[in-house]
Amino acid sequence: MKILILNGSPKPSGSASEKLAEGLAQRLGNAEITMFNAMKTGKDEFVAQVNAIDALVVVFPLYVDGLPSHLLRLLDEAKGEIKSSARVYSIANNGFYEGQQNHLALEMMRHFSASSGMEWGQGLGVGAGGMVGVAPFGSGPMKNIGKALDKMAQNILNKQNGDDFYIQPNFPKFLYKMAAHRSWYSQAKGNGISRKGILRGD
Amino acid sequence: MKTLIIQDIDQNGIDVDLSKYTLFQMSERVKPCVGCFGCWIKTPGKCVIKDGDNVFLELMPKVDKVMVISKLTFGGFSPDIKGVFDRSIGFILPFFETVSGEMHHKQRYEKRPSLQYMFYGDNMTEAEKATAQKLVKANAVNLGAPDCSASFYATPDEILEGLK
Repeated sequence: MKILILNGSPKPSGSASEKLAEGLAQRLGNAEITMFNAMKTGKDEFVAQVNAIDALVVVFPLYVDGLPSHLLRLLDEAKGEIKSSARVYSIANNGFYEGQQNHLALEMMRHFSASSGMEWGQGLGVGAGGMVGVAPFGSGPMKNIGKALDKMAQNILNKQNGDDFYIQPNFPKFLYKMAAHRSWYSQAKGNGISRKGILRGD
Repeated sequence: MKTLIIQDIDQNGIDVDLSKYTLFQMSERVKPCVGCFGCWIKTPGKCVIKDGDNVFLELMPKVDKVMVISKLTFGGFSPDIKGVFDRSIGFILPFFETVSGEMHHKQRYEKRPSLQYMFYGDNMTEAEKATAQKLVKANAVNLGAPDCSASFYATPDEILEGLK
C-alpha cells in the first residue's frame, strides 16, 4: 500500500502538523510512505505522486478558517491533472482549543477531493495545536490525539471511509489559555516588545 | 463610508469609481505567510514581509467595509487573496477570549470593517457555495466584523457591472 502524507505547514520544522504527520506514519505499519512538504513541492511532482498512491493524507494548520495559501495553491493547480483512485484523508489543527473549529477547512478538503475525482476518506480536526508534542501520542494530555490517530490509521489501512471527527487534548481549556498567554508575553519580551507593546494599534 | 476592494479578476486593476472605493492591488503571486507570528510578537499589527502585500493589513482598520472579489476555490478564496488574508492576522491579537462558548482571538482595533465577499466561477457547486456562506460568518466572528455577506456570480463581469 502506497501513501503520500503532505505536510501543509509553512514552518521548516517542529510544527504541530509535522508531529501529527509523523505520529500517523508510525501507525501505518508496513505501508510505503512518502512525506512531502507543500512549501517545497511543485505541482508536477505532487500530481505524479498522487497518481501512484492508494491514500493521500493532507496535514495542515488552520489559517483564517481555511487552508494556508501555499497549500491551497498547490491543490488548486493540481486538481485538474489528478487521475487517481486514492482516498483523501486530512488532519487540520488549530490554535483555538476546540477541534471543531477546523470543520470549514475540512469541508474545503472535501471540495478538493471531489473536484479532483478522488473519494473522501475522513477528516480529523485537532484543537489546541500548540500542545501537540508535549507528551507522546496516546499518553497524558495527548491521549485523545493518539486514539484519534489510531482510528484514522486503521481506516487508511483498511481502505475505508469514516465520519469526520474533532478532538482536543486531555487538558483543561483555561489552563491552555493561560499557558498560551504566558508564551506570547515571553516570546514578545525576547524581541524587546513589552506587554503593552503587543497591544499597539497604530 | 470607505470601502476597500481586493480582487483577483485583473492584475492591472478594475474600473470602479475611485471616489467610492479604495483598490488594493496584490502581487501576481502573493508570498505565503510563513507562520512566524512576527505580526504578534515582533512588529505587532504589521506583517514582517515588506513586499506591498503587507499593506492590506494596515488599511483594514481605516475602512468601513472590506469587499473581496474572488474566484470561488474549494468553497473559499483563491490562493492569492488567501495569501493576503493569511498575512493579515496581525489585525487581531494573539490573546484568546471566549465568544459564544468558543475560543477566539481578542480584537486589536475598536473600529473594524464589515465583510462583503463576492465569489465568481463557472462550475460552482451548491456544496461549495454553502461552505463559502459559512466561511464569511466564521471570518466575521474571528475578525470582529459588525456585518457580513457572501454572494455568487457566474462571471466576473457581472460583479464589475454592479460596481459601476
